[in-house]
Amino acid sequence: MASGLLGYTIRRLLWTIPVLLVISMFVFWILRLAPGDPVDVLLGQRYDDDVAARLRDKYGYDEPVHIQYFTYMTNLFQGDLGVSTRHTDFNVSEVIWPKIWVSTQLGFLALIIVFSVGIPVGIYAAMARGTFIDPLTISFWLFIDAIPSFVMIPILQYFLALKFSVVGLAWEGVWSTNAILPILIMSLPGVAGVARYMRASVILVMNEDYVRTARAKGLKETTVVMTHITRNALLPMITVIGLSLPGIVTGALFVETFFGIPGIARESLAAITGPDFDVLLALILFGSTLFVFANVAIDLIYAVVDPRIRVGASRGN
Amino acid sequence: MAVAQASTFEETAPLPPVVRWASLRRLLRKKIAFVAIVYLVIFYGAGLLAPVIPGVDPYKQELTREAVSQGPSAEHWFGTDAFGRDLLSRVIYATRTTIIFTVAVVVTGGLFLGIGLGLLAGYRGGWVDTLIMRVGEVMGGLPTLIIILALTAAFRTRIDDFVFWLQDHTWMSRDDARLLVKFVIITGASVPFAWIGTSRIVRGQAFALRENEFVTAAEMMGASTTRIVTRHILPGVMPLVVVGLSGGMAAIAGTEVALSFLGLGIDPPTPSFGNLIADGAGVRAFAANPHILLATAIPLVLFSFAWNLLGDALVDIVEPRTRNR
Repeated sequence: MASGLLGYTIRRLLWTIPVLLVISMFVFWILRLAPGDPVDVLLGQRYDDDVAARLRDKYGYDEPVHIQYFTYMTNLFQGDLGVSTRHTDFNVSEVIWPKIWVSTQLGFLALIIVFSVGIPVGIYAAMARGTFIDPLTISFWLFIDAIPSFVMIPILQYFLALKFSVVGLAWEGVWSTNAILPILIMSLPGVAGVARYMRASVILVMNEDYVRTARAKGLKETTVVMTHITRNALLPMITVIGLSLPGIVTGALFVETFFGIPGIARESLAAITGPDFDVLLALILFGSTLFVFANVAIDLIYAVVDPRIRVGASRGN
Repeated sequence: MAVAQASTFEETAPLPPVVRWASLRRLLRKKIAFVAIVYLVIFYGAGLLAPVIPGVDPYKQELTREAVSQGPSAEHWFGTDAFGRDLLSRVIYATRTTIIFTVAVVVTGGLFLGIGLGLLAGYRGGWVDTLIMRVGEVMGGLPTLIIILALTAAFRTRIDDFVFWLQDHTWMSRDDARLLVKFVIITGASVPFAWIGTSRIVRGQAFALRENEFVTAAEMMGASTTRIVTRHILPGVMPLVVVGLSGGMAAIAGTEVALSFLGLGIDPPTPSFGNLIADGAGVRAFAANPHILLATAIPLVLFSFAWNLLGDALVDIVEPRTRNR
């Protein structure tokens, strides 16, 4: 089994190489569709053609796309992500890492809230099945999910900050009370999905024989719910948790924009409108790579915790 | 917060072999679903009938101090915006934008590509299946909103080229051409990501259906692949596609709203929920004129909510084991 698992791990990891190469080619090509190149952006509206030509030659923008791609990848593997045209004098690594760190902390806190609210809500709804409480609970969270963040943000900002001054709006870092509101707004819409998933999972487990046995031998209802139902129902949540992990790093665009948070999503938007070619490319590749590895990690965790899963089968089969 | 949107029925359990259309009728007996359907009928009805509803003019400005940014009144039920335009009219016309965009994306991406590729993967299997599913995995792994934004931003810089070409070669006026090009750009940027969910559902269902005796029988009798797929597999696949699409409708509509909100989708004066909400969003704007945000956001929120509810109710129906008795 161990060798089977090892082989499986290696196979899955090897698969990531072509996948990541294709993603990088695809993204590189898409971003190259944009007219103009970083040199146009760097030099502004009026510039000397000789200077532009020299810069293009220096950064290789006068080469065909596939050569540029090859150069980019070579540099990438040497840790050089290119230069930012928006933040002149900074290279891409210096621009993106501090911002990724801010978004990651926020996203991580939000993710914890999503699951620590969503899982109990799901269990509660499943337990209340057959009464009006079940659809009411799920509907409430579906309603919250239906509110776009750019609608929820100004309303909550107005009531909590301007009217009742519970929180401030200035950005003072992740670990200040002013960060509560953005984190809350990032987490609320996610609860519905987790709750629905947990509810379905609990209901499936509820009808298992071992649950009936536990009840039949006279265990307390809380024991049955906590140990027999919840623990087994949590197993399928691995997928949801795993697939959510890359999301915490890519940031929440509207939350970061409205609250003036120096995070990665806002930087992405600025890089798009800039355009700041190398920064955008680095950000997208970073997000995609995380997603691909999260997928592998999920498969591996499943293979370890649930031996029934046929090792060798790829996910989605 | 981008929590992974794993649809509830897709992964929790093996799907029932065939979901029949008849079971969808159960939907009408659910009260919540019924209310959601009623709202959606009003929403779509308003959008489709907008040009013939009397008194609806989303472009008529009234630039007097008494007329601009007024709260709801008997004359203007939803109030007026900063140009004195009737917000109810603008909301009604914004539903058209939403309808056009969602229909375009659902038909091309969800139905055409999603079903086509899903059937191909599920019925053919083998390397075709592996290829399609890997591509889906890759596309699904990209940070979708950022890529869509990047694509639209890239193509928007060339809007004028397309518009002038259309003006020269068709009967279209410049404004029509411009609007059409914008719709094509946002639809084109969304479609590459719209087929993945549907094709996964179709593929899974096609796998299950392929094993049925009636498919084997049809194969034995020498029916062509086209015939088997269209007559035997497709009808069994459709109900689940409907379920999947209704659950995903809010997200599809949300893409256009987000793009227009950021100024990368449909621009004013053409009403879209994105650009209408953008007029009232922002804490200062909300403090000054709360009605602009509320009147434009509430119809949209209810639209997404109704589709969410409908999707949830449909999942309940196709997955009887988790049904809410």
